[in-house]
Amino acid sequence: MTKVSFKLNGKQTTVEVDPDKPLLWVLREDLGLTGAKYGCGMAICGCCTVHLDGEAIRSCVTPISRAAGKKVTTIEGLSSDLSHPVQRAWMEIQVPQCGYCQPGQIMSAACLLAQNPRPNDADIADAMSGNLCRCGTYQRVRNAIHHAAEMMKKESVKA
Amino acid sequence: MKARVTRRVFLSSSLAAGGGLLLGYSISTHGASGFLRTTSPQSDIPLNAWIRISPNDEVTLISSQSEMGQGIMTTLPAVLAEELGADWNRVKIEFSTVAPAYRNPRINWQFTGNSESTTGFFELMRTMGASAREMLIAAAAQRWGVRPEECSAENGRIIHRTTNRSLKFGDVAEAAAKITPPQNPRLKSPNEWRLLGRSLPRVELESKINGTAVFGLDFTVPGMVYAAVLQSPVHGGKVSSFDKGPVMNRSGVIDVVPVPNGVAVVANQYWQARQALKALKVVFEGGENSNVSSESLAKQYRAALDGNSWKTVKTEGDGLSAEQLIDKFGETYSQEYESQFLAHATMEPMNCTAHVADDSCTVWGPLQGPELAKLTLSGMLKLPPEKVTINRTLLGGGFGRRLLVDFVIQAALVSKAVGKPVKVVWSREEDMQHDVYRPATLNRVSAGLDKSGKPVAIAHKVVSPSILQFVYAPAVTEDNDPSCLEGLMETHYEIPSQRVDFKLLKVGVPTSVLRTTGYGPNIFAVESFIDELAARAKQDPYDFRRSLLKDGRSLKVLETLAEKSGWKKRPAKGVARGMAYTEAFRTHIAHAVELSVNGNLVKVHRVTCVIDCGVALDPDITRNSIEGGTVWGLGVAFKSNITFQNGHTVESNFHDYHIAQMDDTPPIEVQIVNSSTKGLGGTGEVGPVTLVPAVANAIFAATGRRYRSLPLSRHGLTLATNL
Repeated sequence: MTKVSFKLNGKQTTVEVDPDKPLLWVLREDLGLTGAKYGCGMAICGCCTVHLDGEAIRSCVTPISRAAGKKVTTIEGLSSDLSHPVQRAWMEIQVPQCGYCQPGQIMSAACLLAQNPRPNDADIADAMSGNLCRCGTYQRVRNAIHHAAEMMKKESVKA
Repeated sequence: MKARVTRRVFLSSSLAAGGGLLLGYSISTHGASGFLRTTSPQSDIPLNAWIRISPNDEVTLISSQSEMGQGIMTTLPAVLAEELGADWNRVKIEFSTVAPAYRNPRINWQFTGNSESTTGFFELMRTMGASAREMLIAAAAQRWGVRPEECSAENGRIIHRTTNRSLKFGDVAEAAAKITPPQNPRLKSPNEWRLLGRSLPRVELESKINGTAVFGLDFTVPGMVYAAVLQSPVHGGKVSSFDKGPVMNRSGVIDVVPVPNGVAVVANQYWQARQALKALKVVFEGGENSNVSSESLAKQYRAALDGNSWKTVKTEGDGLSAEQLIDKFGETYSQEYESQFLAHATMEPMNCTAHVADDSCTVWGPLQGPELAKLTLSGMLKLPPEKVTINRTLLGGGFGRRLLVDFVIQAALVSKAVGKPVKVVWSREEDMQHDVYRPATLNRVSAGLDKSGKPVAIAHKVVSPSILQFVYAPAVTEDNDPSCLEGLMETHYEIPSQRVDFKLLKVGVPTSVLRTTGYGPNIFAVESFIDELAARAKQDPYDFRRSLLKDGRSLKVLETLAEKSGWKKRPAKGVARGMAYTEAFRTHIAHAVELSVNGNLVKVHRVTCVIDCGVALDPDITRNSIEGGTVWGLGVAFKSNITFQNGHTVESNFHDYHIAQMDDTPPIEVQIVNSSTKGLGGTGEVGPVTLVPAVANAIFAATGRRYRSLPLSRHGLTLATNL
């Protein structure tokens, strides 16, 4: 057991856990944040996507030790009131069906837009193809990312 | 069908209001948020099993159907609210318990599946909403001393139109509950609808965007522990021995418990259970299926198709068999089509939480089959059914997998063994290797043709393992399973002589319902075959199909597809089109696919889909479902394939079981044709049904090569939409 400290959704956080325990299970079991989901455990499906120092990472294969001293943002911390442009676009376009993969989709999309505020379809295909959706909402995910990009431009805000 | 309001329905509402930890949703002007409440407020007044009103004017609507992405916890409560005259922005929505009132009226069984939530419950929801509305109006009219005909219900108030007086629902709910429910309440006509036929925001949408949605995996109860399971790799195998000694002293481990075909490690946290399971040595005994492989299965299918002893399940007109066709017609045409085994691969792996105490059992889980769960646990635990309580969370996908209760049984057994509430969680590997698969099928279609090349006689031979055996056993006999024949027993193509012969195959791998059920494989065969006949007759596939159709809805859907896809316009150079049409799950559907083929790469440029599901009660939710079904179909057509070796499933995760992803997804346009509220159809499963043959037909149009077995990856073809 090791103490690991990091900033979680803006708050300084310390946990005492097995340093090999994946960030996903620390978030879900030790910190009670269940927005990030378990889907594959192999970094293939993207359901567990969170931000580590602004990068979209697969928390199911990221040992908690890697988070030490860094900033972790989960879906719960993206905004407190659904005001993030990606969340607003998701609401407007009614993207989700079952919704299980959507926190991961949203976190990947937010990271994409932070790095590339005007992505084209190929950029979106590149950035989002590691986020699987069994319900097949990809067209709406793509439309919502374009929509969020437009809102960001119009309002001069960043993702 | 007219739904009847009975006293039974009314009485069972007290069951619904009986409390327990219920998952509910409230709608506000900002959308919806999920909440857990510990009990239903005892002060709530049930007007029937579906509608409760509190004295402080809160309206709670009950959803009997599980929410797995199909939007049913929005659409069916909206039907109730429409007839009730409730204020949609203030209603609360709660999942029902398991009780007779909540059964699908068609088959008197509580489940969510077969694309029949809307079709099964629409009339019942209308009647229940209207009945409660008339009770509230009667109570208000009594209080005012006026005639009920002078009153109406709008936005959660009863209004006396001539004097413009009004009362809140909550003001009259108590009096209304004492009124005998009217047997034949007046139903609103579609032109009075304010909620139905409009696209409503999903009631649980917000919770799915801010991370608060509670799926099975997210649900917790105080004192709960976790279990990770390992089941016999060989299907039908069992544990011969395990040694729990070495893992018992691991951090957090509570016990190692046998389950029917495997073992479960129980620990304080799931991660601890999972790690301990990896260290556990288990010896399995494969049993009789140890030699089953994709090759042995293929031989079994081949022998069945080439063999005798068929069950003739349909004859129409002369009902000529394939053999008789050859004698009667100079020109016959015959081809074989093969569909593959598929996994459900819901994004949320199988899981369930159960608490078995001395004299009760409570379950919380992502379930499509709550009544099967209740009956099974009642029998297994020797508890009276009323002592078994089934609660549902949101489902992270269902597609038929969650109609089964294998994972529910495990949760109950493990909870009983350790005396605590337990959540069983399957790893992705367990989920994929212990799925109950969409059975592979082998179809042979033969036709006798007239001089113009039109079929005047058609004969199908179908080989398939059972689909319904685990989810609706009463429908399955020794040699028949109606689900395997879907799409063949009734067709809109005008072909005078029709025959279907069936062989129900017993295989050493588990098979069950999966999105599209029998329609998927059968319509792949039929719509590929019709396309082949069109090509032989040197006719346009659209014109050829039209010449075989007389049904008005069929023609309208096909004509709308031609219009929306620009079928009659020449496609861009190198681009080809394919189409397919059918009626499945009572919905008419047609797809047109535009693609180009470069070597082995297939680029899909555009997909157009037209459906007539009677009336789309929520057009946007319907479109989302069809878009998703189209994407699912691309995965089925090109990528997804379950194979077997030494009795076990080869594929174990998304690296070797491939599903459609973002870069596979072309622009998809969905057009809804509304015909009539009398013939509502399902939309949850129909999407992939015509997409798959439309793809194969488009590839033929592009290359002249006809692919008759799936997935197309076995022919070296790769989907490259965004390359």
